[in-house]
Amino acid sequence: MNTAQAGTLESMDCLVTVSEAAPGTGVKIQIAGSSASRFRTAMEKKAAEVIASMGVKDIELSIQDNGALDIVLGARIEAAVKRLIGGGR
Amino acid sequence: MAKNLLGREIPDFIEGYGKTKLFQGAFALKPEGYRAGGKIRCVNSTCTDKRVSDIKAAIAASGLKSGMTVSFHHHLRNGDYIVNMVIDACAEMGIKNLTLFPTALFGVHKKLIEHIKNGVITRIMGSVNGPIGQLVSEGGMEVPVVLRSHGGRPRAVAAGDVHIDVAFIAAPTADKYGNICGTQGKSACGSLGYAFTDAQYADFVVAITDNLQPYPAAPISMSQLNVDIVVEVPSIGDPAGIVSGTTKVTRDPLRLLIAKYASELIEASPYFKEGISFQTGAGGIPLAVTAFMKEAMIKKGIKGSFGLGGITGYFVELLKEGLVERLMDVQSFDLEAVRSIGENPKHIEISADWYANPWNSGAAVNMLDVVILGATEVDVDFNANVNTEADGALLHGTGGHQDTAAGAKLTIIAQPLLRGRIPCVTDRVYSVTTPGEVVDAIVTEYGITINPKRKDLLDACSAVKGLPVVSMDELVSRAHKMSGPTDPVETEDRIIGVVEWRDGTVIDVVRQLKKK
Amino acid sequence: MRRTMLYLPGNNPNMLTRGYLFGSDGLILDLEDAVAMVEKDTARILVQHFLRQGEFGSCEVTVRINGVDTEYWKDDLAAVVPFPALQGIRAPKVDDAKTVKIIDEELSSIEEKNGIPLGRTKIFCLLETAKGIWNAYDIATASPRVAAIIPGGEDLTADLKTSRSSEGTELDWARRMLVFAARAAGVDPIDTVFPRVSDDAGLRKETEFIKQLGFEGKSVIHPNQIPIIHNVFNPTEQEIAKALKIVAAAKEAAERGQGAVSVDGRMVDIPVVKRAEYTLLKAGLSEVK
Repeated sequence: MNTAQAGTLESMDCLVTVSEAAPGTGVKIQIAGSSASRFRTAMEKKAAEVIASMGVKDIELSIQDNGALDIVLGARIEAAVKRLIGGGR
Repeated sequence: MAKNLLGREIPDFIEGYGKTKLFQGAFALKPEGYRAGGKIRCVNSTCTDKRVSDIKAAIAASGLKSGMTVSFHHHLRNGDYIVNMVIDACAEMGIKNLTLFPTALFGVHKKLIEHIKNGVITRIMGSVNGPIGQLVSEGGMEVPVVLRSHGGRPRAVAAGDVHIDVAFIAAPTADKYGNICGTQGKSACGSLGYAFTDAQYADFVVAITDNLQPYPAAPISMSQLNVDIVVEVPSIGDPAGIVSGTTKVTRDPLRLLIAKYASELIEASPYFKEGISFQTGAGGIPLAVTAFMKEAMIKKGIKGSFGLGGITGYFVELLKEGLVERLMDVQSFDLEAVRSIGENPKHIEISADWYANPWNSGAAVNMLDVVILGATEVDVDFNANVNTEADGALLHGTGGHQDTAAGAKLTIIAQPLLRGRIPCVTDRVYSVTTPGEVVDAIVTEYGITINPKRKDLLDACSAVKGLPVVSMDELVSRAHKMSGPTDPVETEDRIIGVVEWRDGTVIDVVRQLKKK
Repeated sequence: MRRTMLYLPGNNPNMLTRGYLFGSDGLILDLEDAVAMVEKDTARILVQHFLRQGEFGSCEVTVRINGVDTEYWKDDLAAVVPFPALQGIRAPKVDDAKTVKIIDEELSSIEEKNGIPLGRTKIFCLLETAKGIWNAYDIATASPRVAAIIPGGEDLTADLKTSRSSEGTELDWARRMLVFAARAAGVDPIDTVFPRVSDDAGLRKETEFIKQLGFEGKSVIHPNQIPIIHNVFNPTEQEIAKALKIVAAAKEAAERGQGAVSVDGRMVDIPVVKRAEYTLLKAGLSEVK
């Protein structure tokens, strides 16, 4: 399965892992880490927005968070998806 | 169920705690009646040596039985062997249902979890942190934990809210007749401030030492008057965990920035003048504030009267350089502080009662001009929470937060606005430790936010060019903007922690976390 | 003012979020040396998000792109130039006027494509080779976009086949040359970074030296260096008092229609008045530019 990653586990960053998913399976988001207990809803919303804006329909996304703000989360997801589309790494 | 002054819902009666008194304002409740006291003892010349052979013999001699209350001090911090040693012995002797009444617990005490699970300890009155805090937060104890401040604890003892059956006092130095001091010996910890009240009020006092000296030991910090027996053990603690090396001022730019703003606020305040007194503790930001204040004091040519509270080598330096006249030390944080309190008569050991008890004839905090504190969160009403973490877990003791905030003329909470994504400023704190009425300013990397009730401070700050003053509205909306909306903490109804204000009224309760 | 321009590693969310709070006059979001080869893409995207949504206070915002000899520099420019928050780019390894012209053309084409006023994006040139220093004046005058020239530190030292000393002997001539070229071309001379981040005394000494040479400011690699450099560059209270006196006297003379002014028994001419106005500007006491 094709997989790509972007980000780090440094403070205020997150490590985003994305994997190809079969057509029709939709967007699956997994969140773990320091902000997960209080910001899950906000993080899911941001992730869904970024993925939709990139025109991706089916994907599995896992976020290992260490305090990333939305601005960082968005950048990491975008980078991971671009790497996935560009052939992964 | 009733609401206290801060709108927090507090049941009239809490199982395992009893009837509650509602918080009604920082200085509202006035005591009545007389102080409680321990058992009267009589020892005459037939006893000239109070030593017993070991911990079990001491426990047996103390008359400790299941269901009683045992107390400990935390001056050995994360190096402490005594709490685990005593509770292990209790367990082996079949003693159960103990109430543990420590002045604080540390990571090294996570071993107590097995004794919580096997019923040796059924109640904790004191701070819980790390794994014990997590266990309690998830409902691992039948009876709620009771959190009291450093001043609230001696108040509760003196007022009879808590009766100590046996106090076990780790003593870095002792003689056979029970004279104790903390500044000498291989396990020296400096001040023994938190142990005094326990020695005075307990029915029975056991001193445990690894440095027995000929009678009479000198210097003496706590005397033979209140100590019933003495036990010698090979070691009371691990020196590496008892005191840290020399405390250095941080190089972290974020902490330095916040410290700079806090220092500028102090300099702008009316308290920055000859004779200023302050408490800054050992944290990264407070220590850096002290360093900036030192520069400013030298520049302006003023000297301080005293430094209070937990004392570091940095404060010792100020004392040596004559920038403060005295140190009042309830807890010595590092080697330099331990050395200084043992040598310098201007470095004074004070008890927790002396330091912070609201119900005596005047605690040291009342004489304080400025205190720098931290908090996990502060809300728009300036209420501060130091007990619970963002996920609702009860992980921190109250320490001197309430007492110094209530006492000092200028109480500053200095804290980064964001720890990761989690903001330290919010609409409503999850649980309250210290009410906004005694918090004067929040300082973050975005500037100085002053409690509107302190119009005098606002005026003082706006008179200084370039001081970054940010209103609470601006600060909280920035926090919202950067962090985004938070999900609520999901809890059960059951109360697992009771947070007392220093006068014994209930300022808030903490509920059990829902299983995920 | 360009007393301090702070480098923020382009792949570091913490510094990109908080960097502007430390009070430097400018920021350099770094896509070059601070970013590992394998992270060039993620850093570029992160910096892009910050240029779109981030906060920079009143800092002058620039991005250090990768060199024109790499495969990254055009992607770097395309990613960052369209954002209004960007005021300039810092170009590494500028050896000659030709390098400036290549970048200038690329900038113009991106500005045109994105409907940005032509020439908005300034160029801050890093002169990191002996050749670059030798060509300093040509580089500074190669495009009206050039806002400043900056000598390299480590790279330049290596190119000179010497090593970096605490006295900075090896950089001495390059620094003097650079100030002359910059002043002659009417752009800012800005100094290289001081690499020993915990040597506060060394930083102060070097800053005093480069200020005396005529530098406008210094590149910064650690926030803790900012107050020290500002302290050196900021006018002293004595200097401010004197400047206030001169400016006031000049104003009064102008109102009376007099040209020459005397302050404290010394004749004061136009350059001195200008210098005084500049002092007040740096002290934050004047609106005069």
